[in-house]
Amino acid sequence: MPPEGQPPPEGTGSEAAGRVARGLLRAIVVLNALGGVWIAALMLLINADVISREALTAPIRGVPELVALSIVGIVFLQLAHTLWSGRITRSDSLLGRLMRTQPAIGHGLDALFHLAGAAVMAVLFWASLPYFQRAFDEGDYVGALGDFTAPTWPVRLIILIGSGATALTFLALTGRAASRAFRRSPP
Amino acid sequence: MTALDIGGIMLAAMLLLIWLGMHVGVALSLLSVVGVWLMRDNFVLATKFLALSAYDAIANHIFGVVPLFVLMGLLISMSDIGRDMFQVANRPLRRMPGGLGVATVAANAVFAAITGISIASAAVFTKVAIPEMLKLGYTARFATGVVAGSSVLGMLIPPSLLLIVYGFLAETSIGALFIAGIIPGLLLSLAFAALIFVLATRFPAFVGAPGAVARKVTDTGPQVGYLSMVPVVGLIVLVLGGIYGGFFTPTEAGAVGALGALLLALARGRRKAARAGVKDYWQVLIETGHVTVSICFLLIAASIYTRMLGLAGIPQHLVGLVESAELGFAAFIALYVVLILVMGTVLDSTSIMLVVLPLVLPIAQSFGVDLVWFGIVTVLAVEIGLLTPPLGIAVYVIKSTLNDPSVRLGDIFAGAAPFAAIMLIVLLLIILFPWLSLALL
Repeated sequence: MPPEGQPPPEGTGSEAAGRVARGLLRAIVVLNALGGVWIAALMLLINADVISREALTAPIRGVPELVALSIVGIVFLQLAHTLWSGRITRSDSLLGRLMRTQPAIGHGLDALFHLAGAAVMAVLFWASLPYFQRAFDEGDYVGALGDFTAPTWPVRLIILIGSGATALTFLALTGRAASRAFRRSPP
Repeated sequence: MTALDIGGIMLAAMLLLIWLGMHVGVALSLLSVVGVWLMRDNFVLATKFLALSAYDAIANHIFGVVPLFVLMGLLISMSDIGRDMFQVANRPLRRMPGGLGVATVAANAVFAAITGISIASAAVFTKVAIPEMLKLGYTARFATGVVAGSSVLGMLIPPSLLLIVYGFLAETSIGALFIAGIIPGLLLSLAFAALIFVLATRFPAFVGAPGAVARKVTDTGPQVGYLSMVPVVGLIVLVLGGIYGGFFTPTEAGAVGALGALLLALARGRRKAARAGVKDYWQVLIETGHVTVSICFLLIAASIYTRMLGLAGIPQHLVGLVESAELGFAAFIALYVVLILVMGTVLDSTSIMLVVLPLVLPIAQSFGVDLVWFGIVTVLAVEIGLLTPPLGIAVYVIKSTLNDPSVRLGDIFAGAAPFAAIMLIVLLLIILFPWLSLALL
């Protein structure tokens, strides 16, 4: 599946909507880049641990815990951009055919599907709030006291940021699909 | 309505929405939340399930294998090492009938030991092998079929993204799955090579008539020495040997492999006048992220889906059904393979495993099967779908990478058909002789 960069939503009407969409795009590109850097850092960290363990018999403390937290962080930093790039898994052969033969129905269905995605992400955001709050207030950590500990609230915060950004991206894509559904088909 | 009814309705609705084109992860999470909400009459509890899945499902050291092995494979794909492998495999094979086809299979088998994604193999060898084969007079149908067929080795020979996903879903050791994939992968490679030889000698019209040309052509490009393969083979031995010998966890092996691949790519870049720039490396990193996200998003959805199914009691119900129908083990496996092949016409490999395994694993366990063996069977069955219409993803990748309007999609599917048939035979062998996958464990 080749990466398909999607152009920013067009024809959604007002100037303001376009500005919001561009701002959102800039934000998710930044989040995505942070995730990319994090992957590289993760690779180096694990290698440092392996080398230090094998060569110096002194493993770096807390690497497994950091890896676990990192995966969650990376995924939620890059989720919105992955969606924007059209890389979230879906079976689009039937929908693609509908869009060609019955554009109004095809794009209308596509809009509904993206709206459903926005709903799931909004629910995830809302349901994750208390977990962030508790992690922040009570100082939840992974690891063992006296050896290595890492707080969990930063990753809980990234879940909030990522699910929020993904919900907004789903909404932007809903708007685009809807505008295509209502566009007069060319004669 | 009983919980079982609600679960069943949600399951049917999921399949319908996925077929219509809803994002697989969205369909699974949305209907699972609704299902739990209806069953327990408690919306907050249902959303809690979702929040728990988002964190717990992937907050584990073992999930590091996904980005790290993807990174390793993409770095090697970027760095033209696939071309060298093909050239090296060509040297001893080019004069035998179908030699370039066999060389493609051999190079793909080695390449598969580095990359875990079939579509990466398909893209690389479309660029590397198909032009060479066409130049020597092979038919486009055969050339594309060979690349499509041998690309499935990427998912069977470790490291394999599908085996990783299976390991998560079945809570089975990923290291053990990797080791179990080695013999079936080699067996499939040999079967492909034999198929090509038979096609070339018995059905020359299908293959083309490259014999005469091949004898005249002595050299089609820069000769690549056998010694140039030492670093790559060293990397494979380090990564797989490290897992097998217990030096590394799979996650660590992925990290070591990715760093090794980076060093190999950098070393080649220096020799070949800065073949890849900083931008290319950044692109690889971003692509790694996107693959990781799309898989992890599915795994999060699979986690809440599994919880919903459990709450509805569907897996236990299915086990009961199978028992009361006195379905034998052979019938169960046959039905399972058919089910996967049918789903392969609508869904991609990961999604099939995600939807089917939470339902089928309890049944498999009730028969007391070895889950590692079951994983190899599953992945091989799922992979056949990569080659068969209408959704053969490997075929689409070749079509779009080749970008040659004279080669039609139908030609590639026709070329890949004999390879899909061979996969089915190898699948049967692995089902009949479980030691083929379990011998090395």
